[in-house]
Amino acid sequence: MSRMVDIANHIVAHAVKLARVGVVSAYPITPQTQVIEEISRLIESGEMDCEYIPVESEHSAMAALIGAAAVGVRAFSATSAHGLAYMHELLHWAAGVRLPMVMANVNRAMGPGWNIWCDHQDTVSQRDTGWIQLYCASHQEIADTVIQAFRISEDPRVILPVMVNYDAFVLSHSYMQADLPEQEEVDRFLPPFRSAWRLDVENPLTHGSVIYPGDYEEVRLSMQQAHDAARSVIAEAAEEYRGLTGRHHGALVEAYHIEGAEFALVAMGSLASECRVAVDALREEGLAAGLVRVRSYRPFPREEMVELLGGLKGVLVIDRDISFGMEGALYSDCKAALYGRAEVPIFNAVAGLGGRDVPYTTIMDEMRSIVRGERREAVSWPTVCLNDHHLASREGMSRCG
Amino acid sequence: MVEIRFHGLGGQGAVTLVRLLALAGDKAGWYVQAAPFFGAERRGAPVKTFLRFSESPIYRVSQIYRPDMLVVMSDSLLDLALSDGVREDTVLLVNDAMDSESRYAGLPFRAHLVDATSIAMDLGLEVEGMPAVNIPVYGAISYVSNLVSLEVITEVIRENISGPRLEKSMEAARRGFTSVREVRKKGKAVRS
Repeated sequence: MSRMVDIANHIVAHAVKLARVGVVSAYPITPQTQVIEEISRLIESGEMDCEYIPVESEHSAMAALIGAAAVGVRAFSATSAHGLAYMHELLHWAAGVRLPMVMANVNRAMGPGWNIWCDHQDTVSQRDTGWIQLYCASHQEIADTVIQAFRISEDPRVILPVMVNYDAFVLSHSYMQADLPEQEEVDRFLPPFRSAWRLDVENPLTHGSVIYPGDYEEVRLSMQQAHDAARSVIAEAAEEYRGLTGRHHGALVEAYHIEGAEFALVAMGSLASECRVAVDALREEGLAAGLVRVRSYRPFPREEMVELLGGLKGVLVIDRDISFGMEGALYSDCKAALYGRAEVPIFNAVAGLGGRDVPYTTIMDEMRSIVRGERREAVSWPTVCLNDHHLASREGMSRCG
Repeated sequence: MVEIRFHGLGGQGAVTLVRLLALAGDKAGWYVQAAPFFGAERRGAPVKTFLRFSESPIYRVSQIYRPDMLVVMSDSLLDLALSDGVREDTVLLVNDAMDSESRYAGLPFRAHLVDATSIAMDLGLEVEGMPAVNIPVYGAISYVSNLVSLEVITEVIRENISGPRLEKSMEAARRGFTSVREVRKKGKAVRS
């Protein structure tokens, strides 16, 4: 075990090294840049045996990863926000052609207005590409999840690309401690990559080509079945990793004080870490509060939601994203999971967009209003603070035309 | 948990300072978190960083509004720093000339001064023409907060700074540590 006190971006690079990745291709974008800077440094210094493919865009980075994985090489990339959006077409490609690979995404707001800070809109917008999406809440979890992600991605029951997500600045640029396992331990956990299929000039084959309506649905169903299978694979990977390192950050979800809870918070990423502080403070006030932190957003923890939230007196789902014209995306998913299976009063707070700070005190206020039965609206925006400039801008827009 | 908020000017090394403090805190056995608030930073523009030390794992990731300690790396930032949130018992450390005590005597806080700019300039410790005030402040924080010893921060400096700057940096930290002056208030001692 070796201890790092560093920014999450550097810690990711060292976890990627431990995973014995053969090809890295990426394009720099704030707040991801230090991930690939550190990987480049490790390769240049000879500490990491890996080929770095410089590219002119994220679209090409994902194309390079697809190429690498298609010839049977373990591949990694990292991106954020607009870089991820630029990959969109090829995200579908990587998942559709069933290539294992891991990509770190530093969750950042989508512009305009241009904003480099934390927000989940970038990855929630890529929800339906077929990628597995895991969200982390600490430096330690990021390091451990990157290593687990390769195991999950390459498992014959899954064979899908995995996105490891963590919050811009709050995690990416902050210094915290993380313990990295020894190389031998990682080698035991993560055997060399054996691809289910590979491009090989000696045995030519076509993959990912035209398929007619007579076959397409079957391919899509197999992807859905792979996601279903991934549920237990994610749990197994987390459990086996615990045996190796003693560390466990949850399977599809991490529950905190949920036993005996009457009210619960649901959130992802670093916001869920702040929720934990709110739960502790609410418990000190005598309120039976708990937390369900969603680690795996896709596949979604359907059963866990029913099991952990069913029968509670009130649930608040906090989204760091907004599905325009509807509500927070995580909120919709939670309600869908509960529908017809559990009756729970469930509310939504859309908060922390574009790096807006969400102190645990705000989360406590939101929860208390639910506990007191004062909450009326389904969706609130508790960190919005409209000032004269915002109102003048709205007034100006209303006068247009 | 101990929470410290830092206000500095772009180029003064506030981010390096919290990083070095995090490394020292780790050596001293604390759980640490050092978080720079990144924006469109420019040289000379106000910057803000946060530091948490705790005996148990740190889950709080929000900004610090009620700091145990407030570190102001340029006296020009004092009003801004105070308006960002303080507690009644917040301990204040300001980089300012020692003859400016009267400015702080009226504040309702335990205030400490360190003339980090003079220390840095005297030692020729500069980063691209700006005095590297972060290292003397590093020493001063060790003295005022008692969270990490001078020995530990000197060790961190030795592991992270090399070349001709190393000796100067160790001396700057030592001078920062030894030259802190508490603005006298009700006869309170610097350390209890």
